[in-house]
Amino acid sequence: MIHPQKNSLIHWFFHHYILWIVGRNFHEVKFDHTVIAKDRAVLLLANHFSWWDGFLMYYLNYKLLGKKFHVMILEDTARQISFFKYMGAFSVNKNSRDMMASLDYAAGLLNDPQNMLLVFPQGKLYSNFTDKMVFQKGLMKILSGVQNNFQLMFAATFIEHFKYKKPSVNVYLKTLSESLTYKDINELATAYQQHYNSAKQLQTQIVL
Amino acid sequence: MRWWMGRRFKEVNILPFEPRKGHSVLLLTNHFSWWDGFFANYTAFTNLKRRLYIMMQHNHFVKHWYFKYWGAFSMKKGSRDMLESLTYSAGLLNDPENLVTIFPQGKLCSNHITYIHVEKGIERLIKQISGPCQIVYQCTLIDYFEGLKPRAYIHQFDCGVAGKVPFEELKLRINDFHQQALKNQVNIPH
Repeated sequence: MIHPQKNSLIHWFFHHYILWIVGRNFHEVKFDHTVIAKDRAVLLLANHFSWWDGFLMYYLNYKLLGKKFHVMILEDTARQISFFKYMGAFSVNKNSRDMMASLDYAAGLLNDPQNMLLVFPQGKLYSNFTDKMVFQKGLMKILSGVQNNFQLMFAATFIEHFKYKKPSVNVYLKTLSESLTYKDINELATAYQQHYNSAKQLQTQIVL
Repeated sequence: MRWWMGRRFKEVNILPFEPRKGHSVLLLTNHFSWWDGFFANYTAFTNLKRRLYIMMQHNHFVKHWYFKYWGAFSMKKGSRDMLESLTYSAGLLNDPENLVTIFPQGKLCSNHITYIHVEKGIERLIKQISGPCQIVYQCTLIDYFEGLKPRAYIHQFDCGVAGKVPFEELKLRINDFHQQALKNQVNIPH
């Protein structure tokens, strides 16, 4: 498992780099201004359809949540792009014993109210036109390992051009208070699916 | 235009499609972005191999006047001018070397919509075509996958020959093909 590492200089550089490339590549990034409890960590579950997802959620955390950013990524990706670990990324290897260590580490992060943990529960990249969200089971292991109460948050992201040359991003957010009541992964996936469906409906109602 | 698209898109993929020989092409395409005319230009040149004409809303045409040099002509909805535009389009489609692109929705909609509205003017236009003309529905979908630049996937479908497909049937076919494109997109290799 690759752990997050601290380096203020690298972090400072890539923090500004991420904000810069998001600003440069998109016409605008819109998100719901939901209220976040300051005394609880945030577990953010997001759809995964592009390399932008991590950067956009980093941007969202900076603009809205103001927590310490952490993200669970595939080990291959963590090795390929080495600066991710300085921005709060840690790795998970789906087919190894190491996976349990990653899930325990993730659960541990949620005990600190200053942290925000981003997880892509689909486990790999899917098309942005996917209707059905399939969740990996490991997520339940994270939820069951958390001691303190945390804030569960769903994000459904869509990127579209409309009348501009550069695309715009819409991130539909939903916070849930009853985060620990999900009995199994299917129940959690269903709750996310409902949010995703309503977000998609809102997105398709945009007409210019 | 190619340079401009190349700069903004990682790739533009046209899924396999062969147009009918000896037919002009009425290209009905989904309208979701500023780039739609560019995609039409790309397919007209790459696989449909016809001379491109494109119908634009009058206000867009005035704003982007330079598109007239790439085959764009204007259409003002709800005016006499509209009938003239439709007649002009039909005239173009009598020549099998030509391709006319029209956005049947008549406005910009999300790329994620599941229903394609087809404006009535299309029926009027098709009735006026006298030469052999193939109607093609083109559905362009944008995905990102492993990359920072978007990738365009162009799905094309044969809706039949003008004059032989009733308008209601055409609307059904377009929506069936749109659903098929969305399904195919989910399973697209990347």
